[in-house]
Amino acid sequence: MTAANRTSDGSFVLMQLGTRRFALPSDIVAELAPPVRLHSFPHSAPLLAGVIVRRGHVVPVYDVAPILLGRSASQHRFYLIALRDFGKVSEPSAIPVDGECELASAEIQPPDAGQPAYVSGRLTLGGESVDVLDLEALVLSQSFGTGKTDRTEALS
Amino acid sequence: MKIASHDSAKLRRGRHPEQVILFSVAQQTFAIAAESVQELRSTDSLGGATEELAHEGIPKVRHTFERNHRTYYVVNACLHFGLPVTRPTLVLILRQMRVAVLVDRIERMAEIPAVHPLPLAFSGEERRWYRGLAYLDDHVIPVIAPPGFLKREEFQLLDRASKQSATQREMEGAIQG
Repeated sequence: MTAANRTSDGSFVLMQLGTRRFALPSDIVAELAPPVRLHSFPHSAPLLAGVIVRRGHVVPVYDVAPILLGRSASQHRFYLIALRDFGKVSEPSAIPVDGECELASAEIQPPDAGQPAYVSGRLTLGGESVDVLDLEALVLSQSFGTGKTDRTEALS
Repeated sequence: MKIASHDSAKLRRGRHPEQVILFSVAQQTFAIAAESVQELRSTDSLGGATEELAHEGIPKVRHTFERNHRTYYVVNACLHFGLPVTRPTLVLILRQMRVAVLVDRIERMAEIPAVHPLPLAFSGEERRWYRGLAYLDDHVIPVIAPPGFLKREEFQLLDRASKQSATQREMEGAIQG
């Protein structure tokens, strides 16, 4: 089964980014990993911050904060590991998050009008409205090939 | 949700150890298979043997040199990888390719246990630049794909520019003579 054809059956992982929370369908989330070292090297994909090594695998790290918050998050505390599909292959992908994640069950509502394509719906949790993210649309929302080059840095 | 503990396990995929040269460019470390490198020279020792070459579409190549009646193109690794331009001190002359690469310094030789595939998320030029990634001493290091330094079309353009440049030099020499 690929990440795209999984169904979340109303179960979502809530992740903290800055002062906001976003939701991903729980079916594509593998785990919450500690803030291990980020390894960076030159590449041309604007959204990728580098890679981490997790459970014997090299896992690409997607810095989605600039898209979702309009700025880079200051201090990532964890990496949420989610699966992204490439044809028939699923690849673990790490999303830096600022706090612990929470599992929530709720009925997904249609996204508010005018939301970007990567918002696939909305959850209402207490008085809070949480955007549900389409990971694939989110990572594709940045055009590739801008010649970005990252410098080596460590998050720990 | 489960928060897994820190995992320092080594990458466990298929292991095919190989000798690599670790070199750095603008503070960034790269690995290249030792068998891909024919010779290491200082830029000073190569200086007298080079000719200038300018092709506006390929700014990473500014010099050529002749070896065994073949024209080698000198690629500035900083420009190739989009890194801040530094003052390179060494040239890696590649084997089986008419390419020499300007680098800052050689760090050391090392044996890497395996070359791991570049994650599919990396879908741009880096797929041509790298054979994959090595995990060595708790560092992930990109392993160079030598053919990635110059595309075939770039070789063709440079060969043409090099011939024109040589012809021009011959004409200038004849006029002066």
